[in-house]
Amino acid sequence: MTPDDMRRDVRTENLWKIYQQASEEVQAVRDVTLTIQPGEFTALAGPSGSGKTTLLNLIGGLTRPTRGQVRVADHELSKLPNHVLARLRLNQIGFVFQAYNLLPVLTARENAEFPMLLQGVSAEERTRRVDELFARTGMEGLEDRRPGKLSGGQQQRVAVVRAVASKPALVLADEPTANLDSASSDALLDLMDELNRDLGVTFVFATHDERVMERSRRLIRMVDGRIDSDVIRVG
Amino acid sequence: MLQSPWSRIGMRNLGRNPKRTILTALGLAIGFFTSVVMVGWTQGLMNEMVDNATGLVGGQIEIHDAEFRPERSLYDTIGGRDGIDVDQVLAQVSDDDRIIAVAPRVYAGGLLSSGDSTVAGMLMGVDPEREVALSRFLDDLTAGRLPQPGRNELVVGTEMARQLESDIGDELVLVASGADGSMGNDLFTLVGTYRTGLVEIDSAFAVLPLEDLQALVVLDESRIHEIAVSTQDPWLAEEVAAAIAATLEGEALGTEVVPWSELNPAIVEYTALVDVFYYVIIVIVFGLAIFGVANTMLMATYERRREFAVMLAIGATPGGVVKSVLYEAAAMGLFSLALGVAITWPVMVWWHNAPPDLTGLVGDIEMMGSVVSLTMQVEYDMGFTTMVAVALMLTSLGSALYPAFRASRVPPADTLSGL
Ligand SMILES: Nc1ncnc2c1ncn2[C@@H]1O[C@H](COP(=O)(O)OP(=O)(O)OP(=O)(O)O)[C@@H](O)[C@H]1O
Ligand SMILES: [Mg+2]
Repeated sequence: MTPDDMRRDVRTENLWKIYQQASEEVQAVRDVTLTIQPGEFTALAGPSGSGKTTLLNLIGGLTRPTRGQVRVADHELSKLPNHVLARLRLNQIGFVFQAYNLLPVLTARENAEFPMLLQGVSAEERTRRVDELFARTGMEGLEDRRPGKLSGGQQQRVAVVRAVASKPALVLADEPTANLDSASSDALLDLMDELNRDLGVTFVFATHDERVMERSRRLIRMVDGRIDSDVIRVG
Repeated sequence: MLQSPWSRIGMRNLGRNPKRTILTALGLAIGFFTSVVMVGWTQGLMNEMVDNATGLVGGQIEIHDAEFRPERSLYDTIGGRDGIDVDQVLAQVSDDDRIIAVAPRVYAGGLLSSGDSTVAGMLMGVDPEREVALSRFLDDLTAGRLPQPGRNELVVGTEMARQLESDIGDELVLVASGADGSMGNDLFTLVGTYRTGLVEIDSAFAVLPLEDLQALVVLDESRIHEIAVSTQDPWLAEEVAAAIAATLEGEALGTEVVPWSELNPAIVEYTALVDVFYYVIIVIVFGLAIFGVANTMLMATYERRREFAVMLAIGATPGGVVKSVLYEAAAMGLFSLALGVAITWPVMVWWHNAPPDLTGLVGDIEMMGSVVSLTMQVEYDMGFTTMVAVALMLTSLGSALYPAFRASRVPPADTLSGL
């Protein structure tokens, strides 16, 4: 591990998220301590309600922990004010959601460029990165289409390109294949696998999908907000 | 491609629900139309009122002996008992590009009778040629013609003619006290009638040639009571009056130069009041519009909260989200303004040049000692129109403030998981 990698790892320490629901409290994430190394391809599995989404949101700085710490790229997230957190998400974290990831008024290319535009990446560089990633993902020729004119699988690919193009420390994907048929799911997994292997992009997925789990190289199972098992697999 | 995605997102969002956008824009456009036309129309009426107050009978400026007002005594002629060289002073006064016409006048109270009827009236001696150039009440006589000097002819208002039960060609007896203390009386022929619409004029003023009245009341030809002046624009009157006063100062005639605004301050106050009323129109019209637009914007942004959540999740700041909504509102404002101008402009041009006539519905309206005939005559006012345009833009942007704030506060995690 290089010192640079050290800074790019993600750690949680005794992380808790408790929701107050009327009179009862829901412990969505319970005492999770976890390190994700750069370049991992990790699946987060578990039954519905086990806390996968909550954990991803905590790591991504979309939700603030009740207790414990999250460190991303050497920043302790729980201490950051909102605008700094927004900045950190922009520069260090890529998100892929289950569906409706894209802004409908922007073309595929504009969607993919959106975070880079906010980062202030030059037009030339933006074009270069998007062209390259679109070529890799088989999206050439669809750059000027709006999301409404793309299939679900194509939309998810644009979302992955958008997440990766801004060169984040890690990409968090919450059930990215849930709305796709099996062929599209496989294609999307191939793509993420390839980006992970070739470019070293760190991926963490939350998933119910057996195929995603099978293809992951680390499989973390959650039950009732706790880590039940954490297995490094040989890919 | 622009460096900021916000304007692009804002403007494209406007095109997403064209029906709603057009309806909202139409609302604002009608607000623009209403404000501009109402104010244009009010200004048309005000202009006519001022115009008639200053152009119908009186002038925009009156020059008298300093003692003349308010008694209007027969003896207080310009230049005192010696009088003036009328032609020379008229030439001197009219030496100003802003002045259209000047006319000398003599006034005397008197009685007019015909048969059994007698009325008290104001006898007004004029130079018919100069008077026609200056005032309008003798321009279109309702009957007959103007009196000619030296032939004992006169014209009276229609109301006076009615009271005297006289027609064109009838003889009237005029009685008036002369400057020498004598009682002057003479027989005059009614050769014409005029009508201003102002009863206090139409029932009281008898107009005859200057020299005939001077002869009746025994005044020298050098003695007149008033020089009336008309200028290109009523609102120039004060300036021009000051200039005339400066010119006449050297003559040491003891004159007073009075602009109409001093003679009829009520009209000046009324126009100032109406100016305030214009702002009230803007506030009411756009104050109502703001609720409609805000409601639409709130709906539009609520429908899109998932998109705002995505933007915020992937690193947009709340400020960026606010910008995108405000850009949308600005685009909406510009679109509404274009629509507003497109429907307002042709109507303004039409009603300015060929105003529909409403006098058939309501007749003439007397107000503030003036008279207006109700037409849809509108006046252009670029300053006010610009203000309405600004108000429209502010309405659009103002309506978007709260929706924009709401959009920027969408909680990304909850919104996105509420799939
Ligand atoms: N904003 C919230 N307020 C209250 N409770 C919440 C909130 N978000 C999540 N929870 C609760 O926290 C628990 C964990 O939810 P979470 O969405 O993280 O589970 P998950 O593993 O992602 O489930 P799924 O597989 O269905 O997506 C659930 O019991 C859920 O009801
Ligand atoms: Mg989930």
